[in-house]
Amino acid sequence: MSSVNQWEMPTWSSNRLPEWMRSIRFRYTLLYSGVLFGLAALVIGAIYLILWISLHEPMSIINGRVIDRFSGQSFSVDIVTARQFERLVHQQTLERLRTFSFEALIVLFFASLVVGWVVAGRVLAPIGRITGVAREIQATDLSRRIRLQGPNDELKQLADTFDAMLARIDAAFAAQQQFLADASHELRNPLAIIRTNADLALTDKDPQVDELRQAVVVVKRASDRMARLVDDLLALARRESPTFAIEQVDLGRAVTEASEEFLAPAEARGIVLDRAVAPGVVVMGDGDALKRAVANLLENAVRLAPSGSRIRLAVGSERGLAWIAVSDEGPGIAPEHQPRVFDRFWRADKGRSRADGGTGLGLSIVRQIAQSHGGDVQLQSKLGVGSTFTIWLPVANVSSDPARSLTSGAPR
Amino acid sequence: MRVLVVEDEVDLADAVARGLRREGYAVDVAYDGDEALDKLSINEYDVICLDLNLPGTDGIEVTRRLRLERKEPSAPRVLMLTARDQPRDRVVGLDEGADDYLIKPFDFDELKARVRALLRRDAGRSGALMRVGDLELDTARHEARRAEHDLSLTPKEFSLLRYFMSRAGQVLSQEDLLEHVWDEHADPFTNTVRVTVMTLRRKLAEAGEGQPIETVVGRGYRLREGS
Repeated sequence: MSSVNQWEMPTWSSNRLPEWMRSIRFRYTLLYSGVLFGLAALVIGAIYLILWISLHEPMSIINGRVIDRFSGQSFSVDIVTARQFERLVHQQTLERLRTFSFEALIVLFFASLVVGWVVAGRVLAPIGRITGVAREIQATDLSRRIRLQGPNDELKQLADTFDAMLARIDAAFAAQQQFLADASHELRNPLAIIRTNADLALTDKDPQVDELRQAVVVVKRASDRMARLVDDLLALARRESPTFAIEQVDLGRAVTEASEEFLAPAEARGIVLDRAVAPGVVVMGDGDALKRAVANLLENAVRLAPSGSRIRLAVGSERGLAWIAVSDEGPGIAPEHQPRVFDRFWRADKGRSRADGGTGLGLSIVRQIAQSHGGDVQLQSKLGVGSTFTIWLPVANVSSDPARSLTSGAPR
Repeated sequence: MRVLVVEDEVDLADAVARGLRREGYAVDVAYDGDEALDKLSINEYDVICLDLNLPGTDGIEVTRRLRLERKEPSAPRVLMLTARDQPRDRVVGLDEGADDYLIKPFDFDELKARVRALLRRDAGRSGALMRVGDLELDTARHEARRAEHDLSLTPKEFSLLRYFMSRAGQVLSQEDLLEHVWDEHADPFTNTVRVTVMTLRRKLAEAGEGQPIETVVGRGYRLREGS
């Protein structure tokens, strides 16, 4: 039973091997000792072969007879020259060399196995550490790092790369959690208003029509705010996934359409909305998303600009980039706040803006839309003078002469 | 019992204040931290319902200043209201001296119960029922009895009796009563305190033997303990 569990993937035959035989260390040892042993055997064999060839020339040995002068007996003897004698001695040495080198090779084989195993272990030890730390790091605790010590070699670089990756994941995870916390915080406030008012209305023993009507007005206001917030949150979430409609968008037409709904509110507040839209600026992207970005910018401008001021909306293109600019003569944004205005839920003045009905997501949606189109959004602002938001987008290839679209920016 | 509601969401602050007033508390509202600190320096409160996330001076800072400036017996109890559901903020708040917390959105009955519980801590009681002598007060159901007779009290009279019963045996001046039973809209130069004490005493006298609230000449009133 346990053997079935142990080998969950029996398809790959090497899985049946014990774990130590499947390790890189084992393979590395085999390779190391194999190469070392092979090289040694080759060198020794070659030396032996060369010596053997040089010594194994055919040798003619003359048989002679020697007669003992005293006994008169004759013996048969081999007569060799001094050179032949030398060669015979060499041959004998060669035989001995062969035996010794064979034994040496056997010893070398085992020694190389041991050395290979030790060296492989030393080389792979940092990998073991990296694996150990990586295994300990859970999704909930991404704060740990490998922090491999030692020289700046390949393994140190691997560990550092892992650390950098962990830092990025950690940051992304933290940002995600912060976003969730912020979103729940923003949703809980209107929810608390709705619930408290409902509780009060339901437990009122002597309800007055005026009070109930007031409670309903408050509940409506809070639920409107929640609806806007949910819309914006969904818009952000949708932007984050890469699938959105790609089509040719006539930027001038899209921006004009987006601005229509702000003419009446602007007029009601005594604000003039100037539109200077160049024709023929075409970008690739999601028309509805781009309209939404423009609408978000205009909504802020109309809400914050003082009455009697002027809001300018312009579209143009230059050097392969299309731009949409919204300028207001509003209060402006302090330099220290400018880097943060595109952050989610960021507000210069928490209390006031929330009462104004902003969700705190408008500008981050604008930035996300711009960036998902391969562009970006810029802010130029001066306190007491006004702010200009500019969305830059890459122009689609079909666009006509950019110079013409720049000069024809007359108000419609 | 006087309550300060500190909350930057105007609609929520007003609703909470309305609900607590209905319970007979004297309720003031502050819409940001600085306003809250102003009111705390002028008026005596028994409980503060404090939102942690405020523009300007935040709720944690308000609690911290409160604990620095006030000594334990006179300091109001702090009930934190927070829209953050992570423990971190609540831990900081409790460590800085808040007494309890509620996470938005909360059930209003729970808010009322927690306010009552905080008020009980001062009086050293447990449960919603208060008893002094033959007087009985159910702070949850808003019922008052003397010697088993139900008393029909106006909300102000009920609040007044509740304050007397939570400070039984202590001499309470007209200023004390005005501070803790009336809110900041009460005119300190009218005799509303005297009139309300008078009607309360009349109702108490009708329901049983003797008068539990006595006048301490030149100093104020006192509810007799264990009469």
